[in-house]
Amino acid sequence: MDELTATFIDESRTLLAAMEGGLLQLEQADAGDDNVGGIFRAAHTIKGGAGVIECRFIEAFTHIVENVLDRVRAGDIPVSPGLVSVMLACCDHIGALLGVLVAGQPAPPQEVAAEGDALRAQLGQWGDDDGQAADCADGSTVPLSEAVTASGGGVVSSDAWHISVRFGTDVLRMGMDPLSFLRYLTTLGEIVTIETLADAMPDAAEMDAESCYLGFEIRFQTRAGKAEIERVFDFCRDDCALHILPPQSKCSDYLQLIQELPEDAMRLGEILVRIGALTQAELDAGLAAQAQPTSVEFDGDESGARAPLGEILVGQQAVRQEVVDAAVLKQATVKDRKIAESRMVRIQADKLDQLIDLVGELVISGASTHLFAQRSGLSELMESTSVLSRLVESIRDAALQLRMVQIGETFNRFNRVVRDASRELGKDIRLAITGGDTELDKSVVEKLGDPLMHLVRNAVDHGIEPAAVRAERGKPHQGTVRLNAYHDSGSIVIEVGDDGGGLAIERIRAKAIARGLIAEDAVMSGAEISNLIFEAGFSTAEQVTNLSGRGVGMDVVRRDIQALRGTIEVRSTEGVGAAFCIRLPLTLAIIDGFLVGVGSATYVVPLDSVVECIELQETTTGRNYLNLRGEVLPFVRLREMFEIGGDVPARQNVVVVQHAGQKAGLVVDRLLGEFQTVIKPLGALFQHLRGIGGSTILGSGEVALILDVPALLALVTSAEEKLVSPAPSRGRPSGTPDSQHLILQPSE
Amino acid sequence: MSKTIFLVDDSATILMSVSAILGKAGYSVEKAGSAEEALKKLNAGAKVDLLITDLNMPGMNGIELIKEVRKLPAYRFQPILFLTTESQQSRKAEAKAAGASGWIVKPATADDLLNTIKLVLR
Repeated sequence: MDELTATFIDESRTLLAAMEGGLLQLEQADAGDDNVGGIFRAAHTIKGGAGVIECRFIEAFTHIVENVLDRVRAGDIPVSPGLVSVMLACCDHIGALLGVLVAGQPAPPQEVAAEGDALRAQLGQWGDDDGQAADCADGSTVPLSEAVTASGGGVVSSDAWHISVRFGTDVLRMGMDPLSFLRYLTTLGEIVTIETLADAMPDAAEMDAESCYLGFEIRFQTRAGKAEIERVFDFCRDDCALHILPPQSKCSDYLQLIQELPEDAMRLGEILVRIGALTQAELDAGLAAQAQPTSVEFDGDESGARAPLGEILVGQQAVRQEVVDAAVLKQATVKDRKIAESRMVRIQADKLDQLIDLVGELVISGASTHLFAQRSGLSELMESTSVLSRLVESIRDAALQLRMVQIGETFNRFNRVVRDASRELGKDIRLAITGGDTELDKSVVEKLGDPLMHLVRNAVDHGIEPAAVRAERGKPHQGTVRLNAYHDSGSIVIEVGDDGGGLAIERIRAKAIARGLIAEDAVMSGAEISNLIFEAGFSTAEQVTNLSGRGVGMDVVRRDIQALRGTIEVRSTEGVGAAFCIRLPLTLAIIDGFLVGVGSATYVVPLDSVVECIELQETTTGRNYLNLRGEVLPFVRLREMFEIGGDVPARQNVVVVQHAGQKAGLVVDRLLGEFQTVIKPLGALFQHLRGIGGSTILGSGEVALILDVPALLALVTSAEEKLVSPAPSRGRPSGTPDSQHLILQPSE
Repeated sequence: MSKTIFLVDDSATILMSVSAILGKAGYSVEKAGSAEEALKKLNAGAKVDLLITDLNMPGMNGIELIKEVRKLPAYRFQPILFLTTESQQSRKAEAKAAGASGWIVKPATADDLLNTIKLVLR
């Protein structure tokens, strides 16, 4: 795919999103003309771009959409839910056509084409091709249309050029036949209607047989521009009265073109000529008229002042008032925009990734320098390296910040999902979005789309009850699906909640037993049972609907989240609602770590999850619990867990870690302090390892493993539960089902 | 029946190249190397559908030729094109005043030439 096409696709996707947003807004409240205008412009730009890259199927379809939108904008078609629905479907179809383009297919496959035909038929009800004369919505153009009507009885059609020409009397004597011009005109396009005007014809007695008295009013359909049309009349231009009025649709083309002009300071005439609204000859005539003081000016208040070029051009019927207005506005905003644009820099993602990689290396080598400085014992060197490491830390934070994007954009996409899905199901559901300004890594945001889609659809489909049930339960008629995001101790939490029926614990239990996921006599808490829905092949929807319930949902969601080093859990109260809670690490590349030593090995605990460090007082119970100021704190001995040999030192320490409101202790030999940790992923060979999240390189060049705190916490909790409960597998926690290691229950 | 185009230019190269283009496009071509020669042929009653003339020629120039041709009853309403360059804008108006129908700006592509001819030919 060439760069131009890629640019077009990229731009069109953005425009489609904007169109969709605008349409949804349109439905909710009458957002005003500006909104409709925005929707129209988006369609228009896509069409224009498709024309440039010569993708005819996108151009043709978008053209129809644009026409209808244009009439909506002009107020000819009222906004209705039906219209918005069809328009949204059109957005989808254009998206599909873009997909076809991306795939490099020359034409849309049959099903896409059929969809397009169906939409065309639907759009037909708003009569995009009827011959009704659509005047400009702008009142200022009415006099112009009237003038044309009065002079020749011709009507300015919505999509044809209007050419008004009065030949000079000498045209025949110049060896030219007026018919030649008309015939030649047809090589550029099609003459829709033509009216011959003989008003100037004198009485037979006075008529000169060698003179021409004819004029024509022509409606002309063409793809050619104004300058090309004018060129046809080049040879008689000086002797005849010629007015070329662009079609209605062209009018908006000009407005669009004005918007798209590069941000150069230009004169009004230059702008109009550049976009093709004005030909150089017309401009010259206008400028000549401006240079000559006219009687109007002498009568006017501002004596001596020249009439603005715009007024003159409109007066000469060279351009429409609204085009001039837009050009003048453009002139005024060019300066402002230039300043604003210089504040933003677009940058390629891989350049950023490269920077982050380099910063990672910088952090590692900085740590190594710091280490050697400490060993050397030179206080000056140590001081300068500590300044250096502070700077490196700042650079790290700044570099990571570059990758951060707000999640709001992703959230907003679900407005459409909720709207469509709830319509399909006949439910009344609103989407409440909070925390849209929460920032997280761009790569994470990209991968969150699919799991969120699943969860939102589930909430709409299974979560929110039908209206009758809601009324029975005394809930408001309108159901609410919530999307929320916030920071919590080094993680980002994203919640998808609903005020629907919640999870049916007994049904899940029964189903899990039927599927052989749990033993019939298993003792499980409600939360544990709820989380069984993340097991593969689990689905409780009695009716498989279009939206969800194919039984492939939640396990895929969990896998997606795990791939982002995140966790997902569900909280549910039957009859009141359910909330899915996704926890994601703040960043994927570099973290602040806390270095601990066990025997000869070194581990990194993410600093965000560390609460405090205490000395381990050996207990006599033999159970892995200790009393933390009256609180029961389960702990795990890393020495045992990772089977590290060597003598146990006299003093052992406990690092108290916290995740998702749950605390546990990690028993280690030595506390080595804070350490900037560049996360290096583990190879595929180590992926099954529990409790290890990655590796990093220390200043000394040694490798240290990064502990996966959530997984460790789950191990600790489930191990202790096994000890307490009469479950068959007593002892080491390695035999428990996979799910329980990684899904955490909230402490209630 | 093919249209006849009468080409007047003092440059043999131009005569040859232009008549080759016109011939290929299916026109019959008459040629004259000077305005005087052209007038003589026209006076002799040559059938011409379109006259194309250069403006700068030794002896009688193109503008004078156009004026003379317009005086001939048979050619009063026939289209006349002249060859000009961008730098000769003032002569353009002069030629128009003399009765020329239109012009061809040199250097012109074959398409420009043929399109212009198509426009003015009946």
